[in-house]
Amino acid sequence: MRRILPWLLWLWLALVIWAAFFYAPLAEGFVGQSSRILFFHVPMAWVSFVAFLAAGAWSIRFLAGGRRERDDHAAEAAVQLGLLFCVLATVTGAIWAKVMWGAYWNWDPRQTSIVLAMLFYAAYLALRTAVEEPEARRRLAAAYAVLGLVVAPFLFFVLPRLTFSLHPDTVVNTRGRVEMESRMLQVLAASSLAFTVLFFWIHRIQVRLKARAERALPGRTTP
Amino acid sequence: MSEATLLDFAGVVRAFGRLRVLGGVGGRVAPGEVLAVGGPNGSGKSTLLKCLAGLLAPDRGRIDYREDGESLDTAARRHRVGFLSPDLALYQELSVAENIGFFCRLRGLPAARGEELRARVGLPAERLCGALSSGMRQRLRWAFALLHRPRLLLLDEPLEHFDAAGVALAAALLAEHLDAGGLAVVANPSHLELPRVAGRIDLAL
Amino acid sequence: MSRAASTWLSEAVAVFTKDWRCELRTRYALNTVLLFALTTLVVVSVALGPLGADQQARGAVLPMLLWLILLFAAAAGLPRVFGHEEEKHTATALRLAATPSALFAGKLAFSLVLFFAIEALTAPLFLAMMQLPVAHPGRFVAALAAGGYGLAAASTLVAAIVGQARGQSTLFAVLSFPVLLPLLLLAIAATRAAVLGGDAGAELTQLVLYDASMTIVGLMLFPVIWNP
Repeated sequence: MRRILPWLLWLWLALVIWAAFFYAPLAEGFVGQSSRILFFHVPMAWVSFVAFLAAGAWSIRFLAGGRRERDDHAAEAAVQLGLLFCVLATVTGAIWAKVMWGAYWNWDPRQTSIVLAMLFYAAYLALRTAVEEPEARRRLAAAYAVLGLVVAPFLFFVLPRLTFSLHPDTVVNTRGRVEMESRMLQVLAASSLAFTVLFFWIHRIQVRLKARAERALPGRTTP
Repeated sequence: MSEATLLDFAGVVRAFGRLRVLGGVGGRVAPGEVLAVGGPNGSGKSTLLKCLAGLLAPDRGRIDYREDGESLDTAARRHRVGFLSPDLALYQELSVAENIGFFCRLRGLPAARGEELRARVGLPAERLCGALSSGMRQRLRWAFALLHRPRLLLLDEPLEHFDAAGVALAAALLAEHLDAGGLAVVANPSHLELPRVAGRIDLAL
Repeated sequence: MSRAASTWLSEAVAVFTKDWRCELRTRYALNTVLLFALTTLVVVSVALGPLGADQQARGAVLPMLLWLILLFAAAAGLPRVFGHEEEKHTATALRLAATPSALFAGKLAFSLVLFFAIEALTAPLFLAMMQLPVAHPGRFVAALAAGGYGLAAASTLVAAIVGQARGQSTLFAVLSFPVLLPLLLLAIAATRAAVLGGDAGAELTQLVLYDASMTIVGLMLFPVIWNP
């Protein structure tokens, strides 16, 4: 089962890519084929959101639940991967913005908040490198990640209201309803699921690698 | 009865990154007793005392401290112990009396207790801490450690910078502490005549 | 319970008075931070030159500049709140003797008073030098107070984290700016509304929300940050 799972995931991803180009119809009001990037852009943004939420949850568990190294590794790996998906979401978004709005970057509130999220988690990683002592590094990084959870709502809910946004409605729009063609919705859901599973799969590998690197420290091997 | 107040630790391990400083240290102190910790510079004496004080978290091992039968967690232990160390400093901008007064207020003690202890260690009240000699600063550290009448004293290099009078004062304060049923762990006690040494840990590099 | 509350309060007050006593003897924060704010203020107003008479344009740009000056003044002065305790090794004594949440409350009060003092001196000077009339002085003061509180509270919390790390001053900017940016945008919007005579109610409510959540999370997180 363990060996088959990754292959199933690759197959699923391949199917999603095929469906995004040949199965899903084009959305109305979009230039050319540009709406197809949505099937990759939205899952990237979604996964980075999940990753940062998970990093916060693991950090809380680290601080409240016995300070286990494993939780800290999990939080760090989630931030690193989340940052990667954040970059991908930003790039796919910028490409789409160039096609639709004529500029890669125009400080749309969504763009501002994703840049801030990236800055925050890059700062998290910078903090980790600035504290040499492992115990203090884990503790301070976890505290900073929890602080991130507190700031995030202001980023996501307050910021977009301050300025006018050109960004299309998110999947569930402000009127609380899903307004999307059903085949598009199917592909979007399949893609989001695929990338979420991909994230957790890479994450598991990362955590195992970190645990191995920790054990390899000479200080720990001597009895 | 004798177990009501007790410091008991075993298998304490602490590494700093790649450097393993403590590799499984254990010991036990009962009221009126002293545990002496010896070893060359860098062998982990200060690290052990900081772990015991709750200022450093050990990577592994068990530290159990009980006062009158009540087991204290790390935060309570940190608050209760009397800790003296060369790494500990008080505020240079404040006078001796202001420093002692500040820590009295933090610990909810009457100002008279601070005044009494200041007179006992023989420090001028109005002198700014920044203008104290190193021996006088060590006397102030003693006052800080004893202020709240701790049951457990953790003394790291208690005689640093002391002249003969300082050594005599330290010996007298420690003897009083033990007579009152206190416990003590003393690191590098080579020049201090320790009464009632219950055990000795010799750390190696 | 009330006895515990009163000792907690007296601990916090002890930290607050101790910090002010040290501050008034060295005048470090007051001298350097205030001078820093004034210097940037002069540089900004000289570099900007005359903006013309368009009140709309001035009202759009100048509140942002005011908050940038305040942000950098905070970054110059507030990391020291915990930085000097770690640097001078007095942090060990505090770890042993003080209740963490009371210590944080005392430090927070110190940062607040210091920062409000800086605002009280910088803001009027800024308005005078820029010749910027304010339509709603009450709302302007409210925006400064609510924004300043959040700025000082978040900075104090980040200072506690940064105090235990290397390269403090650079790291403080890196860690605090992403945390402070939502607050800053809200404060700028509220100040702009106050200057131009718009409604700042929503922004002020959100600022107060930010302030409250920073205070609560600070009191909860600080013991974890402070002790091993």
